[in-house]
Amino acid sequence: MRAPTRLKAAIVAAVRRLSPIKGTQTPIAHKSLMMSFAPPDAAAEPLFALRGVCKTYGQGETAVRALVDVDLDITKGELMVLLGPSGSGKSTLLNILGGLDRATSGQVRFEGELLTALSEHALTLFRRRHVGFIFQFYNLIPSLTARENVELVGEIADDPLSAVEALELVGLGKRIDHFPSQLSGGEQQRVAVARAIAKRPAVLLCDEPTGALDVKTGVRVLEALQEVNERYGSTTMIVTHNADVARMAQRVVRFGDGHVRSVEVNTERVPPSELVW
Amino acid sequence: MRALDKKLFRDVWRMRLHAAGVALVLACGLSVFVMAVGMRGSMERTRADYYAERRMADIAVSLVRAPDRVARALAEAPGVQTVETRIAGYALLDLPGVEEPPSARLVSLPAQGRPRVNDVVITRGRLPDPTHADEILLSQAFANAHALDIGDTLAATLYGRRQTLRIVGIANSPEFVFVSGPGELFRQAERFGVIWMGRDALARAYDLDGAFNDAVFMLGRNANQVETIRAIDRVLDPYGGAGAYGRDRMMSDRFLSEELRQLSTMATFLPAFFLIIAAFLVNIALGRVIATERSNIGLLKAFGYSNAAVAWHYAKSALIFAAIGALLGSFAGVAFGRMVADLYRDYYHFPRLDFVASPATFAGAWAAGFASAIAGCLFSVLRAARLAPAEALTPPRPTAFNTAGKGLAAFAARLDAKSRIILRRIVRFPRRASTTALGVAFAIALLVVARTMPAEMNYLLDVNFGVANRQDVTLTFAEARDVGVLHEVGRLPGVIYAEPFRIDDIVLHHNGRTVHEAVFGVPAEARLSRVIGAAQAPLSPPVAGIALARALAEKLDARVGDEIYLEQTRGRRIGAHVRVTAIVEPMLGSSAYMELGALARLMREPGRISGAHLLMDASDYGAFNQRIKETPGIAGASYVAQAEHSMREEFDQGVGMMNFIYAAFAAVMAGGVAFSAARITLAEQERDLATLRVLGFTRLEVSYVLIGELMALALLAVPAGIALGTVLAIWLMKLFQTDMYSFPFVFHPPGYAFAVAFTLACVLTAALVVRAGIDKLDMIGVLKARD
Ligand SMILES: Nc1ncnc2c1ncn2[C@@H]1O[C@H](COP(=O)(O)OP(=O)(O)OP(=O)(O)O)[C@@H](O)[C@H]1O
Ligand SMILES: [Mg+2]
Repeated sequence: MRAPTRLKAAIVAAVRRLSPIKGTQTPIAHKSLMMSFAPPDAAAEPLFALRGVCKTYGQGETAVRALVDVDLDITKGELMVLLGPSGSGKSTLLNILGGLDRATSGQVRFEGELLTALSEHALTLFRRRHVGFIFQFYNLIPSLTARENVELVGEIADDPLSAVEALELVGLGKRIDHFPSQLSGGEQQRVAVARAIAKRPAVLLCDEPTGALDVKTGVRVLEALQEVNERYGSTTMIVTHNADVARMAQRVVRFGDGHVRSVEVNTERVPPSELVW
Repeated sequence: MRALDKKLFRDVWRMRLHAAGVALVLACGLSVFVMAVGMRGSMERTRADYYAERRMADIAVSLVRAPDRVARALAEAPGVQTVETRIAGYALLDLPGVEEPPSARLVSLPAQGRPRVNDVVITRGRLPDPTHADEILLSQAFANAHALDIGDTLAATLYGRRQTLRIVGIANSPEFVFVSGPGELFRQAERFGVIWMGRDALARAYDLDGAFNDAVFMLGRNANQVETIRAIDRVLDPYGGAGAYGRDRMMSDRFLSEELRQLSTMATFLPAFFLIIAAFLVNIALGRVIATERSNIGLLKAFGYSNAAVAWHYAKSALIFAAIGALLGSFAGVAFGRMVADLYRDYYHFPRLDFVASPATFAGAWAAGFASAIAGCLFSVLRAARLAPAEALTPPRPTAFNTAGKGLAAFAARLDAKSRIILRRIVRFPRRASTTALGVAFAIALLVVARTMPAEMNYLLDVNFGVANRQDVTLTFAEARDVGVLHEVGRLPGVIYAEPFRIDDIVLHHNGRTVHEAVFGVPAEARLSRVIGAAQAPLSPPVAGIALARALAEKLDARVGDEIYLEQTRGRRIGAHVRVTAIVEPMLGSSAYMELGALARLMREPGRISGAHLLMDASDYGAFNQRIKETPGIAGASYVAQAEHSMREEFDQGVGMMNFIYAAFAAVMAGGVAFSAARITLAEQERDLATLRVLGFTRLEVSYVLIGELMALALLAVPAGIALGTVLAIWLMKLFQTDMYSFPFVFHPPGYAFAVAFTLACVLTAALVVRAGIDKLDMIGVLKARD
């Protein structure tokens, strides 16, 4: 059962050996190697398994059903894009997957373990060990430099990347000793990506990571995400309002009114640089 | 209500916790102010009324013996309005069940009517019947201390005759509001009483038929006290007058004046602390509000409100805080004052003492409260006034952090990221950080002061009883006796060693200054009662010349080597020039010291002594006490161990109360400052702290960022608090220095340790209370919002 994981780990290690860690040039060249993994292996145990997940805010007349009976398997290592109109429940789903919020009913399993049964403290530890978050508004700590923001999570991770490594991976080798207020939005978002990946999380949850960015910087951020997804096999979920971003995903999930409307597998993926806004 | 006023009340409501902090701190300070100033006024009024109603003497004099007709000459002395001649003396009392005989001041009542000067207030019973020689009035404090009441009897040895006296009334007098017995260093109610009795009975006891040995005077309007005293002394010179003196030398009045002075000190010292802290709190709270209200300020100005109107709008909220505090403080001050008035009334046995704070007192309290609030908000309000509308409407520039100085950067590099967040914030907001730290430092300082004062008092007692006065008993004679009496004293049961002493009133002159003081004559080789020099070490009295207590030397502006002029207070006022050979630190009293023989010669009483200090064999106490009760001519017997015990007991009670009050005050101060600072830190960092939680930091780890900042500031405050406390303790000790006490500064490490530990605990508690907010952080909400 662990075989595919081990195989993938071997390949990731090989990729790592091939790719120069130093330098700001993103080694996109190896992407084609990883592309052969898509579509995901449906037989493998999913990283997340959701069964009948409901989320209701409020009660009675004014209750809002943000998620309704969601069933979804998320495969290890896949890059998934979530689309859907505003208010359709995308963020809600991401928050539940990341252990920030709890489902009202239904089951959420992570590697077989029932997240819905975990205590508040256990959820914190779950986030700490396995989850990398990237948000629309970056959420960097303003009193820490780029490097220190990344080191921050390194301090609580088991086998983190060095801050410099992580920042170079997102193409930010130079401005690492700047404070967030001294960086552009795109740079800040790349710091956030570096912060999220530094602990080599099992899952990267990205809620509108390019929402506040222009095309060019948006592409750089998406490239960084894809790079991490391929290099470390972090399962990556990207919520976006930009339908075109879906073309870089292995699978695309469409939301509507709290329901999963459709799940599509991309037969052909497009690198972020070819996406149009 | 105008829209702006509505906003004002909403603002105040939003800041209600800060407002509560400011109001509480102000209330603490202003209640002490109202209490102390009101109490001072009330005491002054009570004293004045009491003195006026009971015709308190302006001048008193004692003499050996003058025929009654001399009274007319005294009445005719310039400035004298009323004179009352009396027979007065001291006696040892024999009370059933009381082994050590207390002493009493005996004062005659006129044959008819009431005393024209120094009248008594009879609280129970009646005046003695002149035809019943054994009827007496007994002073209330003494009666209470021994549970004596009307109908009880006590025995006294009057001129060798043992007499049984029957209590017919309990009384008080303005002359004896505060008294302590001959040879006693402190007031002990159970050791000294006042007995008023019929003049004939006392005249017979003292063999003074048709004569008097004491007189008290009231001055007329426009009288010149100095001239009157001179005139009285001239009249009484042939009759052994001991020198008339004014209220400044009457122990009771002098002590009350000291008490009033201490109330004034208290009225300024403690409230000042609280006003400063309140200003800090206002500064912290309003600084934050105005920072978050930038865009509102811009809007108000864009709508056409003037800078002054905007400034006034924000200042008003600070003034509302102050008004609440002043209101609370006024009520608490009155309640507090009424409690203290009860204590004073019971202690001094004033006929009545109502706490009344004058309107001016309240006005002062309110003004001080407003001043503190204005001082606190001035900075922020001016910033609001200065903010240009266009600038205010743009979003605030993000807080620019920097890595600061090289040294600090190197230090930061060695910290973990969470500690770095703390460090950067402290460095980035230095004014607020120092405000918080200073507030905490003040709390530490307050406790250092509060704990140092008892240590100083303890030290004073230690030195007084351990080094200065090593005798077991001090016998004070009713009048000076020949030194040969020492043999007799030495033969009393249990006496191992007897050491003579003299005490005289003298007038000292130097550099145009004149001080009336007591001078002690101490034998050159004193072993029991010794003069205390520098560093509280015993000192031999000067063989030639005079040693002055520091306070006395300061009053006279005299230094070692100066020559001062000493003058008798009585008779021909013989004087002599004497060289100052030492400045000494007796801590108790501010007297002068000379060698016993030299003093006796100067006083033209060679070979005469005022009493003796005794070293005793404890097993013979019973026999000793029995003998002295029967021995005439002893005015008082002071038992040092007993005095020390009762002094320490009274003192410990006072200290317990004081420690409690000061700890509460310090807790309000430190807790208030820490609470405000923590709440603002939480508000400002809500987003960052929530982000940390999202990233997988536990509540404990995130709490560290909040609490760590506060504790770091509190730790920074420790050295400042210790330094400030030490300076204030030294300063306060100077303020509290009186003619009766002077304290050396005592470094008391446990006091410092307590001050620091208690304050840090208060800060930590406040931080922990605010910390609960971390459990409620909205992790999801914070992700949706742009910062
Ligand atoms: N704390 C909350 N209380 C009440 N309702 C909420 C809360 N959070 C979300 N909702 C509601 O749940 C629904 C789903 O919200 P969610 O944020 O998941 O939408 P979304 O798909 O992320 O939308 P968007 O694309 O605008 O971010 C919405 O109708 C929203 O109003
Ligand atoms: Mg959303």
